[in-house]
Amino acid sequence: MLIAKQLRKSYGDLEAVSNLSFEIRKGEIFGLLGPNGAGKTTTISMLTGLLRPDSGEVAIGSQGRSGDPQTPLNRRMIGVAPQALSLYLELSARENLDFFASLYGITGRRRRERREWALEFSGLADRQNDRVSTFSGGMKRRLNIAVAMIHEPHILLLDEPTVGVDPQSRHHIFDSIRTLNAEGLTVLYTTHYMEEAQRLCDRVAIVDQGRLLTLDTVPELIKKYGSRSVVTAEVAHFPGGERPAGMDGNQLRLEAAEPLKKIAELHSQGVEFHTLNIAGPDLESVFLKLTGRSLRD
Amino acid sequence: MAAVIQMAIKDLRILFRDRLGAFFILVFPILMGLFFGLIMGGNSGGRTAAMRIVIVDQDQSEMSRKFIESLTKNKSVSLELASFESARNGVRKGSRIGFVVLPKGFGETAGILWSTPPKIQMGIDPSRLMEAGMIQGFVMEAMGSLVGERFRQPKQLKPLIEDAKKQLESDNEVNPLTRRLMSNYFQSLGTLMDSMAGIQVAEDSEFSLKSGENFQFADIQSLDISREIDPQSQAGQLQKLRSRWDISFPQAMMWGVLGCVAGFSISVARERTLGTMVRLQVAPLSRFQILAGKALACFIAVIGVIGMLTLLGMGLGMRPANFMALAVAAISIACCFVGLMMTLAVLGRTEQSVSGIGWAANMVMAMLGGAMIPVMFMPGFLKSASVASPISWSIMAIEGAIWRQYTMAEMVLPCLILIGIGGTGFVIGTLVLSRKI
Repeated sequence: MLIAKQLRKSYGDLEAVSNLSFEIRKGEIFGLLGPNGAGKTTTISMLTGLLRPDSGEVAIGSQGRSGDPQTPLNRRMIGVAPQALSLYLELSARENLDFFASLYGITGRRRRERREWALEFSGLADRQNDRVSTFSGGMKRRLNIAVAMIHEPHILLLDEPTVGVDPQSRHHIFDSIRTLNAEGLTVLYTTHYMEEAQRLCDRVAIVDQGRLLTLDTVPELIKKYGSRSVVTAEVAHFPGGERPAGMDGNQLRLEAAEPLKKIAELHSQGVEFHTLNIAGPDLESVFLKLTGRSLRD
Repeated sequence: MAAVIQMAIKDLRILFRDRLGAFFILVFPILMGLFFGLIMGGNSGGRTAAMRIVIVDQDQSEMSRKFIESLTKNKSVSLELASFESARNGVRKGSRIGFVVLPKGFGETAGILWSTPPKIQMGIDPSRLMEAGMIQGFVMEAMGSLVGERFRQPKQLKPLIEDAKKQLESDNEVNPLTRRLMSNYFQSLGTLMDSMAGIQVAEDSEFSLKSGENFQFADIQSLDISREIDPQSQAGQLQKLRSRWDISFPQAMMWGVLGCVAGFSISVARERTLGTMVRLQVAPLSRFQILAGKALACFIAVIGVIGMLTLLGMGLGMRPANFMALAVAAISIACCFVGLMMTLAVLGRTEQSVSGIGWAANMVMAMLGGAMIPVMFMPGFLKSASVASPISWSIMAIEGAIWRQYTMAEMVLPCLILIGIGGTGFVIGTLVLSRKI
């Protein structure tokens, strides 16, 4: 559906993207996960034809067609929701949708239908005539995605779509993306929130400093790179003798490949717990493993 | 083309929803036009306004009405009737130059040379003493016309002559010689009145006294001494002015045009900072279409501002001499300033920097080009420097169409220069902008 081959892009001495290659398959949600400054937005700009790579190429294809994203035909296949809220604040939601639809040659009844769909999709039908400047951050984000979908693209590129969004709108955005994906839309989702990538994406490419570190499904990544589960507990009773490693006062923290087995073993030794928490390995631990840094650093 | 039109409509909608932007494009130029029009009121073709004076007619006699009628015929004064209080307040507040009161009894002796002269009261604005002398002259002229009026009514004048004779005879203090002379004079006057009354019988004959024959102290005739003025000189140019708005409204149009230029150059920067430029770029549009949309919106706004101010000026009395030339001027100006807008839009990276640079450039162009002080009133060196400002050529083109009475051949030079400036600006702006977006 969308192929990036050995993309390179530098700004002066800074190499923003280095030899990046991946393929997004039709109908999947593909995550591009990395910290701020990893080169995600530069990559999206190259995928959409906004930036020309210094080397490498991008190909968009469907049903036997493929080619440069800058051609008008291929541009119609892509919908982009940029990280910046790319909306006209002085216009209403309805006027924004109508204007962007007109740029794709959508007119008349078709435009009305698409507008109604987009307003329903973004949950803004009752605020359609209000100026965007009066909307909350979450409403603007939802409209940003709806505008990207106004021309029914085959692939949707979402650049950090949940930045500055309240939990309710975040939930709405996740549901919307899942619904669109279930209807056959291919999605490229960039984020620096590992829990979002883990929750939404079929496959995830982890990037750092412009380089692709790894690419696979979330379970496979965790299997390959995830460290052991973390058990944290508040101990109610300790029978005495040698205290296990990770014990601090009555707080216990330990890592284990098989956490349940470890807990059963402690219990058989007479340890009783007030509270018990087991955290399985996640993409955060994968990133830590791969870079030696936390994703949030 | 449809996408370009849609983008232009969107930009115009956004522009006029921004209240501050709309103020500078629509309201500010109107205020400038009205302000400069009002302060340049005295320059409307060299014509001066009539002196506004008030008459308080307390006598309400036939002679007081004749007096007012005579004064009304004087083109140098604009008369109105009012009560004493109202007239006095008008002068006190400066809205009238002075007032003339015709007290009760005015008509009894007005126009009778041998009688005690009637009283007339005058109240003049102390700051208008020069006009006071003129008003006194006009009043005396009207009084003179009443003398003639008396002689045109011999039957009414005859009893007054008889009364005067009786008073003369009964007055013992009069010198006998004077009495004899005056008595002879009244006798002759009475005979004259009898003869005139006889003539009036045949009023429609060719020897009758016509209403146009008035008694005058002197027959003052005006000689044509109008100066020979070089039509190319400032005075010669000003002679072509037909309304006080002829100079101020072309200036106002330029302020509106500059408002459009500032608004659209900022909007280009805003598209970049807001991120909407990204959406336009990923849409199936060429860079040319994106820029053409902006240019079209600016072009329409400039034409709209010139059209609106033309209509407003016409509502106030401005009468464009050549509408075709005005249309050509408006299109040339729009081309010029669209190009300049494109150049200004690329001079800064943010809205703030574009706004600052844009208004600074606009102010220099406006001051140099005559949008504040008309070029014709500038000192020589500034007049020479003004050719560097497109505002100067724009005002020349508009004034050429409105009151300078340019032929189409004379319109060619300013219009070609404007189109040339616009074309250059468009090419520079488009090239730089294409690299930036």
